[in-house]
Amino acid sequence: MDVRSLFTNRSARPYGLLLLIAVLLWVLDGGRGLFLTPATLFSVLQQFATIGPIALGLGLSMIIREFDLSVGGMLSLSGCIAVLTGAQYPALGVALAVLFGVIWGSFQGAIMVWLRLGSIGVTLGGLLTLGGLAYVVTGNLSITYPRMDVALAVNQPILYVFSLRSLIALGAFLIAAFFMARTRGGRDVYATGSDRRAALVSGVRTDAIIPAVFACSGALAALSGSLLSYSLAAASGVALTDALVPATAAAIIGGVSLTGGKGTPLGVVGGVLVLCLLSAGLNAVGTPPAVQDVVTGGVLFIVAVVDAVDLGPRLFAIRRALTKSF
Amino acid sequence: MSEQALSAGWRHAWRLSLPYSRRGRILFAIRAAAVLILIAAAVSTPGFFTAVSLFSLLNTTSFIGCVAIGMTFITLSGNIMSFALGATLSTSGMVFMAALPLGLTAALLTAMAFGAAITGFQGAVIGYFRANPIIVSMAALALITGGATLITQGQGIYPQGDAAAALRGHIFGVPMPLAAFIATVVVVQVVLSFTRFGRQLYMVGSNWRAALASGLEPARIVLGAYVGAGLCTAVAGILMAARYSSGDLELGLGYDYSAISAVLVGGTSIVGGEGSAVRTLVGAFIIAICQVLLLLHGFSTQIQYLCIGVIVLFVIMVQTLAEGE
Repeated sequence: MDVRSLFTNRSARPYGLLLLIAVLLWVLDGGRGLFLTPATLFSVLQQFATIGPIALGLGLSMIIREFDLSVGGMLSLSGCIAVLTGAQYPALGVALAVLFGVIWGSFQGAIMVWLRLGSIGVTLGGLLTLGGLAYVVTGNLSITYPRMDVALAVNQPILYVFSLRSLIALGAFLIAAFFMARTRGGRDVYATGSDRRAALVSGVRTDAIIPAVFACSGALAALSGSLLSYSLAAASGVALTDALVPATAAAIIGGVSLTGGKGTPLGVVGGVLVLCLLSAGLNAVGTPPAVQDVVTGGVLFIVAVVDAVDLGPRLFAIRRALTKSF
Repeated sequence: MSEQALSAGWRHAWRLSLPYSRRGRILFAIRAAAVLILIAAAVSTPGFFTAVSLFSLLNTTSFIGCVAIGMTFITLSGNIMSFALGATLSTSGMVFMAALPLGLTAALLTAMAFGAAITGFQGAVIGYFRANPIIVSMAALALITGGATLITQGQGIYPQGDAAAALRGHIFGVPMPLAAFIATVVVVQVVLSFTRFGRQLYMVGSNWRAALASGLEPARIVLGAYVGAGLCTAVAGILMAARYSSGDLELGLGYDYSAISAVLVGGTSIVGGEGSAVRTLVGAFIIAICQVLLLLHGFSTQIQYLCIGVIVLFVIMVQTLAEGE
């Protein structure tokens, strides 16, 4: 295997980073055996189950060169929907939440296509509206989910490290990876993101791709939100940015670019794992939670600078200025 | 300043909401009608002009308004929005409280410098490297929140004595936050309409490449926009910290969203290059009046959140229709 591909291939980059972080944490642990345990892996995957689907949806919207800000609102509202409707049949609650995610996502996408609006504006309005709806349906309270058995079942460890939630999240990623790599629809999505006009001219139905991608993004956020609320046995309207920042960070670290057309679902898996490993690992070796914020912010910042449009020319100018002065 | 530049500035300041195109004028009529309906609804609602509701309205709106004016700089420069202004508000309030033993003036200057520095740094990265503004602001949000929590151990900052009392009073009968907000609007509007930097900011916001081609240094102007945003946000942070007599990370929670809502409802374009501080002032008051109206008509807080969301969504749709010509 070519080691250099870990640095040059966008989708392999997160896995190189993952390896580096694992080694660093292992060193930080210093043989106390706190880090390399099945419990750490389990908690990594539990966080993966929450952040993963959101990062995937956000990543898909970034691949078509849009950005879905509304995922945070969808996360809290779908949790409320699931908790309110799923007391009798838990699956029905999840289904209704996901259905709502699909409807809302395609509505947002349809507005963008129909009125030729940018996604940031529309989804910002969507975020505020969804957040408001979540407050309305819960009556501004934290509502509890009466089925403790379901709450335990979705978090029950399977094969030591997995749970129902993380298996569902991994399944969603596998489906997305297959779709993006092997189907015509997947190639159309990349084409829409790389050059929308060229895609349109060569017969891609970009006006259908955009609502479809936003429907996926809404559905994935709803899936994550409803399962999260089941596992916490509670839901409330409070949670606007909490998920947005880590999910964006995960997608960006995973090799998705905001300029569109780049990134793969498997890369996003790597990006999410990097963030979750950082947080779970730092937690395991006993650093305060604020350190995780700083590290996440730092990593996100570095990736933002590395991916910046004018980084190359600026560095060149600096280097030339330095060589001239010596 | 030459007479010509001055009159151009006045024209610019006046033309803020009087667009040339027919479609633009129709939209202006819709906007004006909406504002008139809102005012009529406010006047006809019993209790709207009672001191209590007006005072609470003016105070909250002033805090949100200052951040929104800062956000206007960022939106105008073509960088959409920042997720870090709420955290900047909290931390500059904390810096103000921590520096208060040095004296009021010193504390004011320190907090303003702090806000300008951390926001300006983001502006430098966004301007000079052309990094993505959304990602940079998210990174800054995590770094500021995490860093502040580490430094303060998660505690609020409560100053000895009460040197900040002067900031809680009135100037000529106007509450201090409102006076500061109005002053900020005036200063920023003058900067936008009458200075070279202001005009260049509009140009960079509407077309980066054209600005570069015509010999401007867009990176420096973006940096200036972010420094301005940091200063306005620090003003809000100082006033809030003075009001609650403490500096706390919770102060600015959710202010990013309130601020960008005010900017967009006021009619500043989300793609940059069009808008003004006065528009943001109008936007902030529209939202505040809506909230008070809903409150007085017996609707709960949660309905208010929903209404603001729907209004923002609607305004964005209407606004972008105007640009679609």
